[in-house]
Amino acid sequence: MKANIIIRFMQHLAAGLLLVFFMGCEREITDLEVASSPANPEVFIDGFSPGLNYAAFGGSVPTAFDVDNDVTWNNSTASMRFEVPDANDPRGSFAGGVFFTEAGRDLSGFNALTFWAKATQSVTIGEIGFGNDLGENKHVVSINGLNITTGWKKYIIPIPDPSRLTNERGLFWYAAGNIDGKGFTFWIDEVRYEKLGTIAHPKFAILNGEDQEETSFIGVSKVVGGLTSTFNMPTGINQAINIAPAYFEFESSDPSIATVDERGHITVTGGPGNAEITAHVGDVPADGSLIIQSQGVFVHAPVPTQAPEDVISIFSDHYDDVPVNYYNGFWEPFQTTVSADFEVNGDRVLHYLDFNFVGIEFSSPTVNASNMTHLHINIYLPNPLNTNAQFQVELVDFGADVAGSVATTITVDEAQQWITLDLPLDNFPGLTSRSNLAQIIFVDVNGNIPSFYADNIFFYNEGDAPPLTEPAPTPTHAPENVISIFSDHYDNVPVDYYNGYWEPWQTTDSEFYEINGDNMLYYFQFNFVGIEFANPTVDASSMTHLHVHIYLPNPLYANAQFLVKLVDFGAGVEGTLTTTITVDQTQQWLSLNLPLANFPGLTSRSNLAQIIFEDINGNIPSFYADNIYFYSN
Amino acid sequence: MKAIYNFKKTHISIIVILIMAAFSGCERDDFQKLPERNWELIWSDEFEGDSLDLSKWNFDIGTGEDGWGNQELQSYTNNPANISLDGQGHLVITAIQDGNRFTSARINTQGLFSQQYGRFEARLKTPFGPGLWPAFWLLGDNIETVGWPQCGEIDVMELRGQEPHTIHGSIHGPGYSGGNPVSRNYTLINDRFDNDFNEFAIEWDADKIDFFVNDYLYQRIENTDTPGEWVFDQPFFILLNVAVGGNYVGFPTAQTPFPQKMIVDYVRVYREVN
Repeated sequence: MKANIIIRFMQHLAAGLLLVFFMGCEREITDLEVASSPANPEVFIDGFSPGLNYAAFGGSVPTAFDVDNDVTWNNSTASMRFEVPDANDPRGSFAGGVFFTEAGRDLSGFNALTFWAKATQSVTIGEIGFGNDLGENKHVVSINGLNITTGWKKYIIPIPDPSRLTNERGLFWYAAGNIDGKGFTFWIDEVRYEKLGTIAHPKFAILNGEDQEETSFIGVSKVVGGLTSTFNMPTGINQAINIAPAYFEFESSDPSIATVDERGHITVTGGPGNAEITAHVGDVPADGSLIIQSQGVFVHAPVPTQAPEDVISIFSDHYDDVPVNYYNGFWEPFQTTVSADFEVNGDRVLHYLDFNFVGIEFSSPTVNASNMTHLHINIYLPNPLNTNAQFQVELVDFGADVAGSVATTITVDEAQQWITLDLPLDNFPGLTSRSNLAQIIFVDVNGNIPSFYADNIFFYNEGDAPPLTEPAPTPTHAPENVISIFSDHYDNVPVDYYNGYWEPWQTTDSEFYEINGDNMLYYFQFNFVGIEFANPTVDASSMTHLHVHIYLPNPLYANAQFLVKLVDFGAGVEGTLTTTITVDQTQQWLSLNLPLANFPGLTSRSNLAQIIFEDINGNIPSFYADNIYFYSN
Repeated sequence: MKAIYNFKKTHISIIVILIMAAFSGCERDDFQKLPERNWELIWSDEFEGDSLDLSKWNFDIGTGEDGWGNQELQSYTNNPANISLDGQGHLVITAIQDGNRFTSARINTQGLFSQQYGRFEARLKTPFGPGLWPAFWLLGDNIETVGWPQCGEIDVMELRGQEPHTIHGSIHGPGYSGGNPVSRNYTLINDRFDNDFNEFAIEWDADKIDFFVNDYLYQRIENTDTPGEWVFDQPFFILLNVAVGGNYVGFPTAQTPFPQKMIVDYVRVYREVN
């Protein structure tokens, strides 16, 4: 009781001192030019301070706040009581509102909002702070997740830069939801602004304190993100607070390259050249910076050439996109990738930063790409590469719950230019269905792609592979030196089958294909396939080579590895030999002449019985084969 | 060159200081006026130059026995990252967190300088945050022969980082050591010891030890005040350190900011002259 009286006395004394101070000031004529706001620090002491109003947030329980005369701090006459509703309360889903004044207050002489609080149980208040004026909210500040216990305790919310608050109307605001579905009550009392010497060491950051560099172009605009602020509280701990961009004063080292406005919006205005974006709050420099490396005029991604009727577009300004849930799922906890999409002259570009992986989802509805053959993506790596990168694309089908991924090598000299990826859908191993595609996931396999732009993401049907019109070249080996398995130019030995349909792993189907009386084998949905000639087996002891003509009708976007295995049933041995087929060797007949001595492990060839073909890299959807025979030189 | 310093001591209450600040025209209240004393500077380190003067200081290295007797977490090093001069006349001791490991520094004048009685003072800025434990303190020269606490310990200044506004002045001896020293704290009103430099001092003679913050006397311990033997009639040497964790301060928390620095402007030792 005595303490209370002293405190009251001290309050009056403080007010008296302020009065004395103001009365002591002589007014100059020039002082009258600007009407200053009152510097009243009190928000709610034993009732509403002069001019204070309350407005509940939309969707909140309008009656959540009330004045309580029973439960008060230090036996004062009134406190503020807040009743947070249970889940599914028909009146509203949360408690939240703003205490504001019609006329602004001058809070520049204080450095913190303080109040006493307690609750019916230990609770967490979602967000609480000041600067919400139901308008521009220019100087809004809050603490997320403020823990309040069952005993009265004093809480402090620092003001990042008091000099900005010369006419502030938003004096206090809060938003609180239920905990595990259950509501609760909390009380707040003695809400006032103070000048505290016990909060110290303010730290501010842009871009979460990182020094970043970024390639950009004239016309690109983006917002400086990662604005953080911490103050060291009287207990020595660091308290993070959310502060509005307006507290930061942003600067560009060269506005002729890039400008930045008071809200942190960067616009690249010139180039080539560099501009460094930095910031400070009051006289405290913020950690973090961004060097904009303007390349000058923006280079748009190549205009895609596919006809709209052959395209299902996920992201492109050249087609109508299907509904997309999101272009960045922010999948916690392992994803670091953030988005900074931008638009240049009407061309929207996806921009992924801090890239490790990121997913695009289009599940409402899913996409039926059964009739599509390819996924098209334009990507641009704005940072230089020191070593080759592996850019992995994964497709996920929600219907069959299957996924497949393909990694593409991006060489050092492909950085800082648009790259076109045309990925055959047949080449996504494991993607056995694409009738309910729902996700595209990009992964930085080697961890050396800090950011990339993406554009023109769509599925397309390239149409049928051009029909094969040229038969295989006529082989020239003398018949007496040949043991033929499949050829119209030699007599073939008895063959059990040209496709064993070996379950369960083989997907390869096959048919015979004929041009002007010349028969060829056509293998499609190829992964591996075996030809067997065991009745009788073939004695190729005197032969030196295996010959095969193959023709890949589909374009290759990376070199393929075509494996041939020979199996000898007599000795029970086998050997394999792999041939690289380069991207420029498709859509032409290739003559493979494989020395039998080069099949390691094939120690006997007196009872050969199988030839097996296999697609090592999974990028040969189909091929034609002809003139399969052993010969000797 | 030896300088003679004059000090005039007044003991006035915090309330009076506040009132004084408000009404600066007030006369100083001079009750509990201390006698004037003349001090002769005997030893000092102003921490000028680029490197610590090893003719004045030894490093304590490692984790000591049982965390230097207090279950402290840090390992002391002589790494410049942990202890260096800033080139602007300050010693900087930096406590660094690396995962669950902490490094810091501790220096002493054992075998290089010690003194019985006089004024020991340091001007410094403290680190802050739960689990930080900076100290400016003295130990009896005979610690190697009689051990602790028989040798005596004078803590001119120590601080718990979770109370950055409060310092403690203490003495430890036989029967009043560890968690039971003769001690008093001094708290800044609406300020903290890490906001600016403050001067911490003791004035010590055969009868008593007086503890000061910025020349404000906040504690006098007379030789009849100790529950055990008065062991403060022999030379003591000086220590400066920043500990992390330990019995006195508790563990650092996830919200303790690191790295943390204690910045020392000077350490000076005087002898009284008549």
